[in-house]
Amino acid sequence: MGERTIDIRTVAVLALVGALVFAVPLLTADRYLLKVLTFVGINVIIITGMALLFGYAGQVSLGHAAFYGIGAYTSAYVVTSLGWPWLGGVALAVAVTSVGGLLLALPSLRLKGHYLAMATLGFGEIMRVVFVEARGITGGPDGFSGIPFASVGGLAIDSAGANYWLIWGVAAAMLALAANLVRSRAGRAMRALHGSELGALACGIDLTGLKVRVFVISAALAGLAGALYAHVVGFISPSTFSLHASVVLVAMAVLGGTRSLAGPVLAAALLTLIPFADAVIPGLSRSALETIQEWQEDIYGLTIIAVLLFVPGGVAGALRRLSRVGRRWG
Amino acid sequence: MGGTELLQFVLAGLKNGSIYALVALGFTLIYAATGVINFAQGEFYMLGGMLSVWAYADLGLPLPLAGLVGVAATAAVGGVFELGAIRQRKDGDPLALIVITVGGSMVLSSMARHLFGPNERPLPLFSGGGSVSVFGAVLEVQTIWILGLTALAVVGLWYLYNRTGLGRAMRACAVNRDAARIVGIDTRLMVTVSFLLAAALGALAGLAVTPLTQTAFDVGPTVGIKGFAAAILGGLGNPIAAVVGGLVLGMLESVSIAFISSTYKDAIALIVLLAVLFMRPQGILGRSSREKV
Repeated sequence: MGERTIDIRTVAVLALVGALVFAVPLLTADRYLLKVLTFVGINVIIITGMALLFGYAGQVSLGHAAFYGIGAYTSAYVVTSLGWPWLGGVALAVAVTSVGGLLLALPSLRLKGHYLAMATLGFGEIMRVVFVEARGITGGPDGFSGIPFASVGGLAIDSAGANYWLIWGVAAAMLALAANLVRSRAGRAMRALHGSELGALACGIDLTGLKVRVFVISAALAGLAGALYAHVVGFISPSTFSLHASVVLVAMAVLGGTRSLAGPVLAAALLTLIPFADAVIPGLSRSALETIQEWQEDIYGLTIIAVLLFVPGGVAGALRRLSRVGRRWG
Repeated sequence: MGGTELLQFVLAGLKNGSIYALVALGFTLIYAATGVINFAQGEFYMLGGMLSVWAYADLGLPLPLAGLVGVAATAAVGGVFELGAIRQRKDGDPLALIVITVGGSMVLSSMARHLFGPNERPLPLFSGGGSVSVFGAVLEVQTIWILGLTALAVVGLWYLYNRTGLGRAMRACAVNRDAARIVGIDTRLMVTVSFLLAAALGALAGLAVTPLTQTAFDVGPTVGIKGFAAAILGGLGNPIAAVVGGLVLGMLESVSIAFISSTYKDAIALIVLLAVLFMRPQGILGRSSREKV
């Protein structure tokens, strides 16, 4: 694995994939498809953080949907009810979720073992109660509606295509930052931690500090995604930010595989598209779609179990094998 | 607030607390055997109620037999889950196992929805809708059943742990798995047994409560989290601590409804959970064990 140099083939593949992703609104006018692919982009932003947290730092969070929700409600509230500009709302959402992530991670990561999974589970459930009960801010169980589209200065981002570009632009930027991070000193430290905590500690790596920082980054990315989501759909309600949503995020990270960004991104795309299969498979019958949606939970749950038991490498492992084969042939 | 009213809240706290205690015992048994938090524990509670309803309403069995079938079938599900999923992860990596139980939880609740439908399903009260008066407070007969069954389960577990070879083997396994294996204990079998027992305890709680609350495919996670909070509150890995934790948590919830408000009732357990995790992760009854590097 070359850390500092990226070989030309990877650059070519990335450029091609990037060009394809950004060309989609030029190739189709199907608003439903664009909306679904925008959701994929939003999940890609969250999963970038989850990939760092699960795949690199080896920590499980069962509460990331809560950060997603905090981001969404924060921006929705200050922009819709207090009249802040959109950028201000998004920035505040990122700030609030960063601080929240720090407050949660500091005490739980100082302990050994899997306290973070438990603490995030409790935190996620508390936030679910808050989203429902803090009616003055969140609108309660009926949700928060009338959230305006994103706008910068006088420029409103109000079409399906523009929202698609906005989300995927942010997603690409976050992926680039994350890719940079895992190639840096911090990235090497994370890989060392994954290999052996004791070994990493012996090398003088500040394990707790590193884990806390990764957790804060992942919380901030979820908050950012939440803020973007609120303005894309215009309506948010507590059910979107439930424990169930957190578990689906874990399923994406697990299916994606460890020590990879591309794997989790592909896994996120795949699992996000399951309930919207009709957007990407033309001619899919109504009853087939309903069957897929009916079994959606089973697919997520069995995916988690099957990947962990039989293909621990997940999508990332498959990609690595593929690239080895490619190199042999090239 | 008068004494009678306070007593009423105490009784309600005991009732909920003993349910949490049964679920917490499940967490603690599996944690002692494997070092893993079983996030599917709440689903055993759901299945206990659901399978009993199925045996009673769909198979037409008499209620006591239906309850027995419900608990036994849930225990079997717990055993199959361990054999089919947990045991298959050969390296026993705790992180992977925890995430597997998260996946298992999703599959179990979804399966229950496929098999028994999305609606709430009732079960009749075990012995009619009567109640007795305790110093002026009302105690429903079903609550007596809940308290009695919990006490029975705790006594049974105590007997198993202290008076049988199997229980001693389980305790040895909890103290030190490698040492237990060296003296000839089948530690893998103990893991399976702990899943069977944990599932049965969760199922018993679900069965006892369903006549009061009905049950549905999605009741698992909420109770699971509270049982988990109770196990952490008492101190993970210690059965007595799990029971104490359950009862204390039930009381805390009940008292907070009495003195604060019921709006954030469901958040109380979670705030307790976070507070204990952050300030006293070994629980109120646990001894502090400092992690050495």
